[in-house]
Amino acid sequence: MSLLMNATQIQKLPVVTVNGGEDVAEVRDVVYSPAQGRLVGLTLNKRGRFAGRLREVLTAESIHAIGKDAVMILDDSALLAPQRAEEVAGVGGERNVVGDDVITEGGVSIGTVVDLALVVGSTGEVVGYRIDRKQGGPAYIPLPAQLAVSGSTLLVPDSTLEFVRDDLVGLGAAVEEFRARLEVS
Amino acid sequence: MDSFRAAAGRKLIGRDEAEELGTVDHLLLDIERGRIAALVVGRGRKARLVDWAEVRSFGPDAVIVPGADALRAPDGEREQAAAAGDLDVTGKRVLSTSGTDLGVVSDVTFDPADGCLDVLHVGQDTVPAGALRGIGSYAAVVDQGPPSPAS
Repeated sequence: MSLLMNATQIQKLPVVTVNGGEDVAEVRDVVYSPAQGRLVGLTLNKRGRFAGRLREVLTAESIHAIGKDAVMILDDSALLAPQRAEEVAGVGGERNVVGDDVITEGGVSIGTVVDLALVVGSTGEVVGYRIDRKQGGPAYIPLPAQLAVSGSTLLVPDSTLEFVRDDLVGLGAAVEEFRARLEVS
Repeated sequence: MDSFRAAAGRKLIGRDEAEELGTVDHLLLDIERGRIAALVVGRGRKARLVDWAEVRSFGPDAVIVPGADALRAPDGEREQAAAAGDLDVTGKRVLSTSGTDLGVVSDVTFDPADGCLDVLHVGQDTVPAGALRGIGSYAAVVDQGPPSPAS
């Protein structure tokens, strides 16, 4: 399993060009498609305090790497022109999973989604959610490769309960096992 | 081997009239060719550049050039940034291409005979100069494999 990060850890990271070594923007928000289970892109702020929103966006494909200290792009040309920014921002507006209740197919409520867990340094697949449990505080749950989403509730397989983990490291190990289990059943 | 940190402050001497033309502030890199592109003499609006091709000898105590004609004004955006000190690699933050902060460049070693770069010293580690991908006002970017596993 590659490096996992929370979506909120990606916010505020500088966006730096590999070929230029310049910080051209910083991450404003992570745009995620729950239906596809992957990162769609990033919306951006200008660099510097109170600098405001940048109209350009980054698509997941134009990102060279998301690391723990910076989002790397090859050069300025990775920034998507404002005219096409709707392609990214539109998906984000479609649906936001943060705040959704997570309920198993057996009808057990696990908690509320507070953050996403993404595989970074690759396609930006979202492999889990950070949740706030009704009892026991924060935890992570793995996601199936395909997830049906509707309304304000996420319905997850019953076996999710066995794979609730305390931290990202635990989640990283749990995702593959969880998905293997789903394939067998 | 010589180093960027050691070269800073070194005298620049014109050979024709043995005149002191200034002191080296820092060195400007040619990343694609893996060598020193130019010496930046002074800093700010008065900064001048000396192309490496003008250097007759990069000695331990002085850098010898033919004469005052070897100094020229910075040309273009990149050289202007260099004159302002924005591209000085020593003290620069180092990011890997996978987005991990590796530390700060404490020094760079090079061959004074031909200006070819050797390694960057980053914290306790060294990074081969050939791994450099870009350098700008924010960071020097170096090639490094995918991020290490979280566990």
